Amino acid sequence: MFNNDERYWDIQKLNKWFAISSILFLISMAWTFVDDNDDEFKVYQREFRKMEIGITEKNLKRELEAVSAERISFEKDLARAQSDLDIQNETLVDLGAILKTLEGRYYNENMIYQGQKAEVDGLKYLVEAENAHQDDGDHHGPSNKNDYAAALELLHKYQLIKEASEIEIDDTEKAIKDLKANVKLKREELNIVLKDVTIVDNKLSKIDRERMTFVNKVGDVVRDLPIIDFLDPYYKVNQIVVRDVKYDVNFAAVPKVDRCTSCHLGIENPNFADAPQPFTTHPNLDLYITSASSHPMDTFGCTSCHAGRGRGTSFTSSTHTPSNDDEKARWQEEYDWEVMHHWLQPMLPTHYTEASCFKCHNNNLDLKGADKLNLGLSLVDKSGCNGCHLAQDYPQLSKVGPNLKNLDKKVSRKWIAKWIRDPKKFRHNTKMPSTFGQDNQISPEMQAWNDAEIYAMSSYLVSENGGKKSTSDYRFMGDAENGQHLFESIGCLGCHVIEPDPVETETSLKELTKRQGPNLIGIGSKTSAEWVYNWIKDPLAYNPETRMPNLRVNDEDAKNITAYIMSFRNEDFENLPDVNLDEMSLDKVAFTHLSKQMPESYATKKLAGMNLNQKLDYVAKKSITHYGCFGCHTIDGFEKAKPIGTDLTEEGSKPTIKLDFGLHHDIDHTNFAWFEAKLGNPRIFDRDKVSPTLDKLKMPNFDFNKTEIEAITTAILGFNGNKVDEGIKAHNRVDEMAQNGARLVKQFNCQGCHLIDDFGGQLVDHIGAAEYAPPNLNTQGAKTNPDWLLSFFNNPSIIRPNLEVRMPSFHQITDEQWNAIIKYFQHLDNEKISYRDELTINEHSIEFKGGEMIHELGACNNCHFYGTTFPKQDASTWAPNLALTKERLNPGWVKEWLREPQTIMPGTKMPAPFLPTEDLLTIDGAKNDWGKELVKMNGDTEAMLDGLRDYVWSIKGKTNIDKTIQDYFNENGYDFSGDEDEDDWGDDEDW
Amino acid sequence: MIETFKSVIDTLSAPTVSFTLLTLLTPLIFPPTDWFDKLNRKLGIWRLWTKPGLWAGMGFITFFFIVGYFDPNFNITLTKPDNFPIVLMVYSMFFFIWLGMKKAYINDDRLAEGLKPEEYNDPDDKVLVWPDLVYIEFISLILFMVFLIVWSILVAAPLEEPANPASTPNPSKAPWYFLGLQEMLVYFDPWLAGIVFPMFIIFGMMAIPYIDTNPKGDGYYSFKERRIGIFIFMYGWLILWLFLIVIGTFFRGPNWNFFGPFEYWDPHKVVPLNNVNLSEYLWVKMLSTGLPTNIMLREFMGFLVVFAYMFVFPILLAKTWLKDLFEKIGPIRYTTLMLFGLSMFSLPIKMYLRWFFNLKYIIAIPEWFFNI
Repeated sequence: MFNNDERYWDIQKLNKWFAISSILFLISMAWTFVDDNDDEFKVYQREFRKMEIGITEKNLKRELEAVSAERISFEKDLARAQSDLDIQNETLVDLGAILKTLEGRYYNENMIYQGQKAEVDGLKYLVEAENAHQDDGDHHGPSNKNDYAAALELLHKYQLIKEASEIEIDDTEKAIKDLKANVKLKREELNIVLKDVTIVDNKLSKIDRERMTFVNKVGDVVRDLPIIDFLDPYYKVNQIVVRDVKYDVNFAAVPKVDRCTSCHLGIENPNFADAPQPFTTHPNLDLYITSASSHPMDTFGCTSCHAGRGRGTSFTSSTHTPSNDDEKARWQEEYDWEVMHHWLQPMLPTHYTEASCFKCHNNNLDLKGADKLNLGLSLVDKSGCNGCHLAQDYPQLSKVGPNLKNLDKKVSRKWIAKWIRDPKKFRHNTKMPSTFGQDNQISPEMQAWNDAEIYAMSSYLVSENGGKKSTSDYRFMGDAENGQHLFESIGCLGCHVIEPDPVETETSLKELTKRQGPNLIGIGSKTSAEWVYNWIKDPLAYNPETRMPNLRVNDEDAKNITAYIMSFRNEDFENLPDVNLDEMSLDKVAFTHLSKQMPESYATKKLAGMNLNQKLDYVAKKSITHYGCFGCHTIDGFEKAKPIGTDLTEEGSKPTIKLDFGLHHDIDHTNFAWFEAKLGNPRIFDRDKVSPTLDKLKMPNFDFNKTEIEAITTAILGFNGNKVDEGIKAHNRVDEMAQNGARLVKQFNCQGCHLIDDFGGQLVDHIGAAEYAPPNLNTQGAKTNPDWLLSFFNNPSIIRPNLEVRMPSFHQITDEQWNAIIKYFQHLDNEKISYRDELTINEHSIEFKGGEMIHELGACNNCHFYGTTFPKQDASTWAPNLALTKERLNPGWVKEWLREPQTIMPGTKMPAPFLPTEDLLTIDGAKNDWGKELVKMNGDTEAMLDGLRDYVWSIKGKTNIDKTIQDYFNENGYDFSGDEDEDDWGDDEDW
Repeated sequence: MIETFKSVIDTLSAPTVSFTLLTLLTPLIFPPTDWFDKLNRKLGIWRLWTKPGLWAGMGFITFFFIVGYFDPNFNITLTKPDNFPIVLMVYSMFFFIWLGMKKAYINDDRLAEGLKPEEYNDPDDKVLVWPDLVYIEFISLILFMVFLIVWSILVAAPLEEPANPASTPNPSKAPWYFLGLQEMLVYFDPWLAGIVFPMFIIFGMMAIPYIDTNPKGDGYYSFKERRIGIFIFMYGWLILWLFLIVIGTFFRGPNWNFFGPFEYWDPHKVVPLNNVNLSEYLWVKMLSTGLPTNIMLREFMGFLVVFAYMFVFPILLAKTWLKDLFEKIGPIRYTTLMLFGLSMFSLPIKMYLRWFFNLKYIIAIPEWFFNI
């Protein structure tokens, strides 16, 4: 081709190079396609397809088996009909031929007709134009009217011809159809039988290549070829666009796009419950994913709850987060998993998924099921986290620690100093965290420094002579044994425990209700009998902020309880060395604080001018400010102090790089690992740091256990900046008052004694029998009249006469708060009405009279009080005063209660009244047995229940019978053990 | 052994040490005068431009990267997809300089013997564009495409999530080709390092053919015939640009602190940088008074120094040391050369002033955003 002599290069050689490079280029292009189409999710989709075929085949087999017997007869019928048709085959063929000829003829006739119609339309226009222009003389040429009339006539003729053929065709078609009718019918019947089989079969033929026709097989391959696969591929990215949940791209918020279902293919298909990941079914389809659930996938997507990178279509790029080290190692091996550093909010590990509930459900009210989050939020409340750390979506309701304003009356300065130094030495499970003696304070200098702070704080809180009263002042102490009985029976155990030694318990919401108040050990070593006595008599007099209610105990009982509580001493604590004052250290602390405010020379001068008391006062104020004691306690002079901790409002979405992991590398660089480490040992990130004393970490140690750490971490992860649109926030649908009510119920530990919203009532474990325990408040919202309930709350009276445990008076709860609580009860029962017209009763109606009869026959007065009239049976079965009913209960609820007490309150001792049936009322002598009114009502249940309810409404008597009952029990005591199992009616009821 | 090597490298790579060493080495490697040339011959540095030199150089670079690959700290920077081009750059720069210098030395020898350079062709002996030129260009193009495609398949693009102003990466690094500029920002105000210098680099390179009108070495490799030009260019290109990129890539860690290649990038590391302006030296340290309120008075020393460096210094040079040059190329070329050349040398000068005297700015007028 080329003459190589004229060339600088050897062309043959260049040709070879060209060939080689072209081949390489081709290979690299092919590689590009392979690489581009070799997505991880496609591997899963292929595997899933195989599994789906397997499962569908099984389903097909099952469906076929299910109809195997049934289909035989239907198939026989079909075959018979078919053979009948076959006999008439000749007729059918003939008819077919006739039809064909007819259709040909009709086609022609119709063409002629349509042609003529066009002619007519043309002439029609000409005639109309002619008519229109006749008057103004614009019309020229001959008239078309005659032509039009003739054409119209011809059209009519053609129409008749055409219609004749149409009729003939219809007739022939009908004849054919009639012949085939039976076969068609039988086939349809068979199809109905085979309906489910067909559905499965159709599905299978869409996914199983082996069942496809050749053309479909080719299509099935071609649709997934590169480039063409934009049309309608089988293997494709599945995505859900979640409009109401936004992903913040810093300068704009875009809807979330979740592609998780590209690999998690069986997530909404219950058939895949046992399939391996990523194909397995979601573990809770009742609540999530399906369109019938409350969190359908189309509205919420996946990452709204699980977080992570929804757009990722590979294991690593979707930022899966391992739950533990084993899983991490396995993932690294199996999936080459690694952390995607650039994605600020990786997926939550499975044990923290509940954190996401909080962004739409930021109250305790509807977090049932999210136990870990609920526990975490409760712990945040009870530990007082938000005393120091602001969390705007979960604000603090009140300070968790006691008010320290009147401490002089309660404890001595020495005691408080030892307590601050190490509260756990006094009470092993106190909620007071340990601020001192922590990892970054163990050097002798630090201890001296801390002792100076502690001494100063103690002398700020309690004067040197304060609290020095006798711990065994018999003016205030009665019989301890009696006191113990009272302590255990009147309800103290609803909130307090007495656990001298640590008890191994798994922290749960229920456990928290047991430990609402302090563990009452060692009180004898802490305070005076006088103080305990006064406290029991009226807690609010000492501390107006306390959550401790007033149990309205009389003087004698109060003395007994005091004696019991004072009998617990902690001698180890008493023998601990006092915190001594080292003035050098005090000077050092004072000087350090002073020199932060002013130049050192001024500070020296100022310090020299201070006497010991001034120094103590100064150091105390500085220390209280430094450690933030006022986060939990009300302290004189710190009423307006600002919380000292980091704002936690969006802590859960704080980038991990903003968390200081310190100088060590043994903690995983994830936000939850940081929170866990911090909660486990708040000073851990100070390891090997040489920070100045005042810069050391100072969060106190709550000694949380593993369960608690996990729960609180869940809550913190829930406090984040991932906002969702208002529309899908669940808490927007609930009255704010009801939400507050729910939190108040938690705050005042109502569920320590009562079952509310199916939770609580641990006190029954101490009392033993549910009928003597505080009542179940499950339907309280629908049950009681809000007016009465409010008055009851403010001034509790005796409802269940034979309960020794009593409803305390919560005078610290304001009317506004009570309203919120009532609103919460009403919310739980979906009760919309607060104010009702009085129930009107017609005492002369048949229903009323019938009700009266049922009432008599039911012997309600065996158990119930009627005003001050005692029930016939003895105290063990006593039930509420019926004279109070109309004031206390809602008529609608009472009717439902009478209908079936067991469904409203499972386990209640209240029997359903016997209502005579129609059969009973029609036998002879019914009038004698049941009375004429009931016979007239003829077994109408509704009318009888209305009547009974109306009768109860008519019962008159004293509504407040507290004194009568108290007098009785003062005389007879609460011991019912002798008169159990009296008779069938001896069942107490529980409402 | 390896640990010793690593600690030696870590010590040597401190910018003060490495920059000084390289600055001292450049005239030995690319000797601009006879004196350096003699030293070069004596030390045998010229052997770098022989085949064993190539193998030694490539071997050292490879050894460095292999040791780096197995070092847990260097591995992180080395294997970043962003830094792949730097590794390529180190190899390719060395290879092409080696190739050019090798050929230049051969030609220098030939020219000394009175022969024509190797690349010399008879003007009548022509080569056709097609196929001789275009064909090999086409083949190279295809092969390069293959390389780019394979690269893009094997090393995923280092794309990150949308930038978050609340969470900037530490260290925040410019794209690799701008890391030299970013390194200059350590020593100069942004308007200089980010705007004036890049423009000077471009205009300066455009100006080279007009300043250097020496017709020798045209169309063939040669070192001896334009050794000063090559020396200056190599210093600017290798030390003031590529080496700064290498520093920026491998040696700058969190908080833009300096780390040796085998050191752990500890974000807690704190290096005190107490920098002082020239005006502070003058007024506060020497005259023991406060800074004058009049800005011009305060900074007059800086203006004086800059003026002297940019305007008086070239005149002095033209009258003395560069008299021949000035006469040869005339005032316009000379002025242009001085503008660009002095700007270029202001970078190492400023670096040393910073290192030795903690000098922040010669002229510091933050009120007007004018700092030099």
